[in-house]
Amino acid sequence: MRRVAVIGVGVTKFGKHERTCAELFAEAAADAILDAGVSPRAIQAIYFGNVVGGEGERQLHMGPQAASVLGIPSVPTTRFETACATSHAALRHAMMEVAGGLSDVVLVGGAERVLNLPTDAATEYFAFASDAAFEQPAGITFPGVFALIARAHMAKHGTTEEQMAHVAVKNHRHGALNPKAQFQKEITIEQVLNSAKIADPLKLYDCCPFTDGAAAVVVASEEVARKSRRPVWILASAAASDSMFLHVKKDLSRVLATERAAEAAYRQAGRGPADVDVVELHDCFTIAEIVATEGLGFFEPGTGGVAAEKGWTSLGGKLPVNPSGGLKAKGHPIGATGAAQAAEIVTQLRHEAGSRQVDGAKVGLVHTLGGNTATVLVSLLGSE
Amino acid sequence: MSKVITLQAFFEEARAGRLTGIRCGRCGELAIPPKEFCPACQERAWEPLPLDGRGTIASFTVIRVPPRGRAAEAPYAVAVVRLDEGVSLLGRIVDIPLDALKVGLPVRFRPLVRDNQTVVGFGPTV
Repeated sequence: MRRVAVIGVGVTKFGKHERTCAELFAEAAADAILDAGVSPRAIQAIYFGNVVGGEGERQLHMGPQAASVLGIPSVPTTRFETACATSHAALRHAMMEVAGGLSDVVLVGGAERVLNLPTDAATEYFAFASDAAFEQPAGITFPGVFALIARAHMAKHGTTEEQMAHVAVKNHRHGALNPKAQFQKEITIEQVLNSAKIADPLKLYDCCPFTDGAAAVVVASEEVARKSRRPVWILASAAASDSMFLHVKKDLSRVLATERAAEAAYRQAGRGPADVDVVELHDCFTIAEIVATEGLGFFEPGTGGVAAEKGWTSLGGKLPVNPSGGLKAKGHPIGATGAAQAAEIVTQLRHEAGSRQVDGAKVGLVHTLGGNTATVLVSLLGSE
Repeated sequence: MSKVITLQAFFEEARAGRLTGIRCGRCGELAIPPKEFCPACQERAWEPLPLDGRGTIASFTVIRVPPRGRAAEAPYAVAVVRLDEGVSLLGRIVDIPLDALKVGLPVRFRPLVRDNQTVVGFGPTV
């Protein structure tokens, strides 16, 4: 397999947009292509992610539509959907196409738009990613899924609502340093604890927002990457699954797909958790960050809450997690999230992250989770 | 040769108050249908196993911001219940006060029918 690098990144402002997914993706993609320093003509394939476009925009077949708006309509496109892990799955497959020698330059990313919908409709569409026979009819929502995980983690490990609140406060503090973030405002522990209940024990500020936005990255072969401004190498990219059904998971306090994908990625890269300098991980809910920091091997099982409380995962801490503000503050346009996380790690490893820069970062980890914790992707990126 | 219990069959039985699990004829693994291969031993030899419907709450949540069409039902509780036989099932909690819910609370299966669709429910044991 050939070495593969990310040579360009582009991310729209996250928040509310009055533009279609195709328009949003095209903006991020054009930025990524210019950042890569290649001609649009150099793109040989587009791996495009979107989740609820069929429901939200009555638009399927968005890949060629986005390519047409971008202005390279003859490039082959493929749409990916693995719920919230969508564009990270696209990134892994783009990497495989380049690593396998089929293409030298591939554009990958995703877009999502849901703020044009009422909250109850968006909540319903997101719940389509849970099982339609057993789970949706019971009235489960995605906050509900992670509330079940939170309750199990609290019962097993004594994790507290205040520890979860620390995750939200930290990610809002980071988001305030990110001009692309949906929320650029700091919050307090009290605000989190006193915010409206969504799905007990999760409250409004435990939850990421609904977000419109897009992100794109350009991946390239080593030969192309060597001529680019600042390549960041994909050291590993691994995917793992776990049962789609919540009722099959024997221990709701763990995300087995995270543990499996992390193990595979560390093995591929020949590195371990101690080699990682900066992390972008899937904090769709505060408890999700706590469980992920354990599953990725950074902290012992049951101690992710303590790590958040002690500030170990803050900028300036021993392992900065989600310097972008994470899904919590940067926002979570679900089909774009994986690519946006990768773009942040690339920016960090190029030492171009400004006031949210992790000093001396050389190796970064990207973790993206889809659906009922059934899909997880973990990639390791390195500046060398 | 195992006979697959379809989702339709599972929910028709559930509507009549009967929960149906499956047990691997080779390794004894328990599961909720439908399923082809045993996730534990990869054999394809399921046998139906009637489930008693009694269990305890493994985790639960109270949904206060519901999906479209369920505003009139909220707030309501959803729980993962560990059945006595060893398999778990997710369902809607009924007839138990929300503030009485806790991990470990004994509950019992009951079918809920909504818009002609059968939903797994759990209520008090007596």
